[in-house]
Amino acid sequence: MELSLENVRKTFGEKVALDIDTYVVHDGEIVGLVGNNGAGKTTMFRVILDLIRPDSGVARIGGIATAHSEDWKVSTGAYVDTGFLIDYLTPEEYFDFLGKINHISSTDLQQRLQQFDHFMNGEVVGTKTLIRNLSAGNKQKVGIIGAMLHQPQLLILDEPFNFLDPSSQHAMKYLLENYNRETGATIIVSSHNLTHTLDICTRITLLEHGHIIKDHSKDYANLTVEIEEYFIHN
Amino acid sequence: MNLQESWRLYRLINKNKSLSLKRHPLFEQNKIMKVFGYIFIGFWAVYLMLFGVMFAQVFDGTNYESFDRIDGSMLVFLVIDFYMRFTMQETPAQDTKPYKLMPIPQRFLLNVFLLRIGLSTANLFWGFFFVPFGLLAVVKFYGWMGYIGFLFGWWLMFVLNSYWYLIWRTLIQRNLLFLLIPTAIYAALFYFGIFHDESNTWLFDYTVQLGRGFCTGNVLCYLLPIVLTVILFFINRKMQYRSVYREIAQVEHVTHVRSLEMSWLNRFGTIGEYMKLEIKSTMRNKIVRNQFIMGVCYMLLFCALFAFTDVYDSQPFMRTFICVYCFACLGTMTLTSVMCVEGNYIDLLMSRHESVLSLLKAKYYFNCLMLIFPMLFALLPIFNGKVLWVEALACAFFTMGCVFPFLFQLAVYNKYTLHMNQKVTRSNTRSSKTQIIFSFVALFVPMFIMYALIALLDTATASWILLGLGLTGFLLNPLWLRNIYHRFMARRYDNMEGFRSSRE
Repeated sequence: MELSLENVRKTFGEKVALDIDTYVVHDGEIVGLVGNNGAGKTTMFRVILDLIRPDSGVARIGGIATAHSEDWKVSTGAYVDTGFLIDYLTPEEYFDFLGKINHISSTDLQQRLQQFDHFMNGEVVGTKTLIRNLSAGNKQKVGIIGAMLHQPQLLILDEPFNFLDPSSQHAMKYLLENYNRETGATIIVSSHNLTHTLDICTRITLLEHGHIIKDHSKDYANLTVEIEEYFIHN
Repeated sequence: MNLQESWRLYRLINKNKSLSLKRHPLFEQNKIMKVFGYIFIGFWAVYLMLFGVMFAQVFDGTNYESFDRIDGSMLVFLVIDFYMRFTMQETPAQDTKPYKLMPIPQRFLLNVFLLRIGLSTANLFWGFFFVPFGLLAVVKFYGWMGYIGFLFGWWLMFVLNSYWYLIWRTLIQRNLLFLLIPTAIYAALFYFGIFHDESNTWLFDYTVQLGRGFCTGNVLCYLLPIVLTVILFFINRKMQYRSVYREIAQVEHVTHVRSLEMSWLNRFGTIGEYMKLEIKSTMRNKIVRNQFIMGVCYMLLFCALFAFTDVYDSQPFMRTFICVYCFACLGTMTLTSVMCVEGNYIDLLMSRHESVLSLLKAKYYFNCLMLIFPMLFALLPIFNGKVLWVEALACAFFTMGCVFPFLFQLAVYNKYTLHMNQKVTRSNTRSSKTQIIFSFVALFVPMFIMYALIALLDTATASWILLGLGLTGFLLNPLWLRNIYHRFMARRYDNMEGFRSSRE
């Protein structure tokens, strides 16, 4: 699923949060969005997902302008923050709800959930706990699984490694790579964890004050050095 | 901590508290609401002043002077004041949390917040009644000093009441059933002090003596509320102290949440799933549950008036009025905050295809289903011949087809998140001006339509017309719900911004 941004600009008062002329993510890519706090990563995700109105420009998923149609929602999965969680449900009820509204049969749902067994590490389902009472890491897991459950062709995850313990971070990396390999889905993740991002992504985009200042594929020889140098000096 | 430092901290905390109110996400949005608030206070102030003047003269020529009558009714004033505080007064436990790790003694903080409650201008509200009343009724007997003593004494009583209220408010936050205890205490006092034996006027006599003590400057009479206030202050301090830790270390009873299948709703597909959400939200979120319980209580109250009493049997208009309220009150109470709970997970809803539309449909059908209960209650007066079956049916359908569509318009305009499981603080439950206007219209306009129709036609014909209107609205629900959905989507960015800013 291809994603594109054209002349997208978003300001909050005087502050430019996002200013992108053209940005295209091609089908099947795993893109890592990196940048310091306030670089515009979350704003970019919110514009793509039509959760905030850009001052100008258009975001398209699969050629559909996200602000003008809802058809892209069927093939997109996202987890940005806890605003994606219904916290008075148990994880099972939440997955069941998402399964039903995405027309996934109970058998298929169980099979799909089994794929996340290692990631959940026995701490998410079967605990008879409401989502709001889970730890931050387990909430994060519920949100990520919820975004992937209907096997979207475009997956957007904001800081997916946050709150996760080291084992879960590794499981997360494996999960994303495997998902991309099996479904050919496009994945965009933002992260402050450079090691994980460089490990799994096929392309890295560096944002600063809403502008894209570097955008290289993994094949680019100096990628790691350049990215690390940027963060050392900024 | 020395006195100067304490005073500096007191002023700093006061300043922070004022800023937190001014910078609340709803402060700007609710400027007009504030004007409404001032008009409301002004209205009551004038009303109380008129009462003050009236009561100062109405008892002239009887065995007791006016001030004795008012002092003797002290319990009535305190009870009204107690229940009024539920709309105004917050508990301070939440306020102290941000200071928890700062080098400020916790007890000092609690003292500051409790002192703010005692010194609040809200405790002067009754002054609108007592100032003109005392001027006309007390000055001529006890002079100006007596007048000041009278006002001071009553102010002490209201300060005492604020701390008494705070104890119960804190307990009610834990469990709504705690409301029954002060209610039972007041009921017992009224029963044994007034109604049980009319010749035994101990409660009246006691409060009259207390009031006279205020006017004569009897130190003991002032000491009584002061000592009680100090005792309640320290009880409150202890309770709030524990409450802070309780909230910080709050681990809900989460170990065994029962999974609710509700498989009977599966047949309704996606809408059934959203109906399950609606039921679970009501059961598992404190604020939604309390709102629902209050609504059901009002509904039962109107139903009981309708079914089991004959107070309004001779007045067709009032009978119809009660009948409309039986059906409309629960929906009015819950639907005024439509979408506010969903503000907590609005991003999820907005990232799924037409899920807000399914949600609105589910909410509508759920509220229509709830009308079964008042309908069952209505069967009794129908069988007794007190009300026509078509009249009850008309009220039910009018609610479904006219009142609910009207209230659902708020889904377009509501844009603040209701924190589902927090305490019922004023800041969490405050309504926007639109909500107030909509609930007012939803409760009163049907009544006026009914009244006009009954005045022009007979009850049966009026009921058939209402039934027709309601049925039309009900059958057209796919159209008007979709219209609401489209308008919601047109305003989605504004609404999402509002939901997000009031959530964070």
